[in-house]
Amino acid sequence: MLKVTDVGKSYGKFTVLKNIDLEVADGEFLAIMGPSGSGKSTLINILGLLDQSYTGEYLLEGKDYKDVSDNELSQIRGDQLGFVFQNFKLLTTYNVYENIEVPLVYSKKAQNNKNALIADVIEKVGLTGKEKNLPSELSGGQQQRVAIARAIVNRPKLIIADEPTGALDSKTSKEIMNIFTKLNKAGTTIIMVTHDSEVADYAMRTVYIRDGQLYNDEKSVRNHD
Amino acid sequence: MTDKIMIAFKSIGKNKNRNFLTMLGIIIGIASVICILAIGDGFAHTVTKGMGNHNTRNKVILQWQPTSDYNTDGGFTQNDASALAKIPGVDHVKLASSVTEAGAKVTYRTKKTSIGLNKQPKHLKLIKGTYFTMTGASNGIYISEDLAQKLFKENALNRLITVNGTVFVVQGIYRISNMNYRPDAYVAKTTFKQLFASQISRDQAKLYVQADANKKQIGKTAVKRMKQMGEEKKTGKYSVSHPDQISKQFTRILNDITYFIAFIAGISLLIAGIGVMNVMYITVSERRKEIGIRRAFGATSSDIRNQFLIESVVLCVIGGIIGIIIGYLFVSIINAFLPFKAIITPYALILSLSVSTAVGLIFGFIPSNKAAKSELVGLLKEE
Repeated sequence: MLKVTDVGKSYGKFTVLKNIDLEVADGEFLAIMGPSGSGKSTLINILGLLDQSYTGEYLLEGKDYKDVSDNELSQIRGDQLGFVFQNFKLLTTYNVYENIEVPLVYSKKAQNNKNALIADVIEKVGLTGKEKNLPSELSGGQQQRVAIARAIVNRPKLIIADEPTGALDSKTSKEIMNIFTKLNKAGTTIIMVTHDSEVADYAMRTVYIRDGQLYNDEKSVRNHD
Repeated sequence: MTDKIMIAFKSIGKNKNRNFLTMLGIIIGIASVICILAIGDGFAHTVTKGMGNHNTRNKVILQWQPTSDYNTDGGFTQNDASALAKIPGVDHVKLASSVTEAGAKVTYRTKKTSIGLNKQPKHLKLIKGTYFTMTGASNGIYISEDLAQKLFKENALNRLITVNGTVFVVQGIYRISNMNYRPDAYVAKTTFKQLFASQISRDQAKLYVQADANKKQIGKTAVKRMKQMGEEKKTGKYSVSHPDQISKQFTRILNDITYFIAFIAGISLLIAGIGVMNVMYITVSERRKEIGIRRAFGATSSDIRNQFLIESVVLCVIGGIIGIIIGYLFVSIINAFLPFKAIITPYALILSLSVSTAVGLIFGFIPSNKAAKSELVGLLKEE
């Protein structure tokens, strides 16, 4: 699915990421763990093609998108990637249906069967009957389900989730992680940032990041200390 | 596109009060433009209708003007008319007069004076005598109070006067007010035709031209020909008359005034535009999170720019439509008080909607561009 070779990023003299090497296979469920300020979010911004100012090489499905046009990047983000954010990032004045519709507004591939696609993902995340509700009328868990539905409505190959359970209690976190597990079993590759080891356990593989460097297991992080 | 227009309506509806206040400038500006143009167009229409009855489409009017005040009896003769009719492109020629009043000499005993006289009108208010329409070659005459005083010391009614050698009986006396021009005397229609009409100088020649004729060229040729062989060429000057020129000039001045006032309305729209720009800046900074989300889910930077531009245009066009409706209502009200009818032309409607759209595009562009160019990672940090 993706391959990162010697990727680095710094703001002036401050290095955020250095010498990152990472490979994620199709259908994999990867968890990235690390403390606050370790560079997790910076790394997934690069993986999600949200941030193009980095050094090194990043290939998504074998293609380097570093120097492509804004339009092409937007199209890849819309068609192949899905994002789930920690604080859900829903549009507060839009109802459930309209929030899930956002990626379809910009996608060329799903203009004719919008309603069917939206109904399908609403059912998948268990929100049938809540289509007309505003985010403020939903619980945190339900809001994150809307965010997941929005991320998968375009049937992306890769879902990038930044602390998807960060704002949820443990019971709701489990429900959300069950949805991710189902999606992964259905073939979607998932890269998830978390600082919760229980949540990371749902992933097939966990990598650790500290001070901008990536380690393959927790022990290596400790050894590094 | 429909999606984006719906998003624009939704966003405008979210901040109704703020957006209505922003629209107010556009509403007032457009309503003013509609009223000003309606008054201007209505006035111009009335004026040109009043002045434009000279149908000069198929004729060239030649004018003779005396070069000296002592010899004003000249003009075109039948020989001149025949010569003019021979100009290629001219169908036929009619001689006419720019004035209808005849000059005459009045004598009463030893007193003599020159007057202007005309055939009697249908109605005339007399200060002495009874007014009636004289039939046939009557020798009755109505004279002005001024003329009566000049000729007679006292009662003038039924006295006999001589006009160009013919004796007339004074039937009545009328007063000439400052506001209303009248000649010094009126005689019966038939009498006027028999005795005086021939004395009116035929100072106009109407050249009726063929449909495909070059009027300008015919006018030039006619003036040239009259200068060479006109029978009164020594006592007067010949020129081509343009009766519609005055109305054209008037309309032009009126248009200039209309556009000047419309320019002032334009300034109010400029201020409204700055209001739109301000509110769009606020909207963009309030919706940074939304921009980030849309960008992450596939919106290109031009999608974002267009989104905000559409919003700005929709805002202004709604304002424009409300402005047109208010302008229409206002025009309907002022029409009750105006001496002429103000008209809202399709041109004024198109102009108003175009101006609204232009204000939206021009003043929405910079904020929309700012939204489009914002850095994505920074946008996604917004909560």
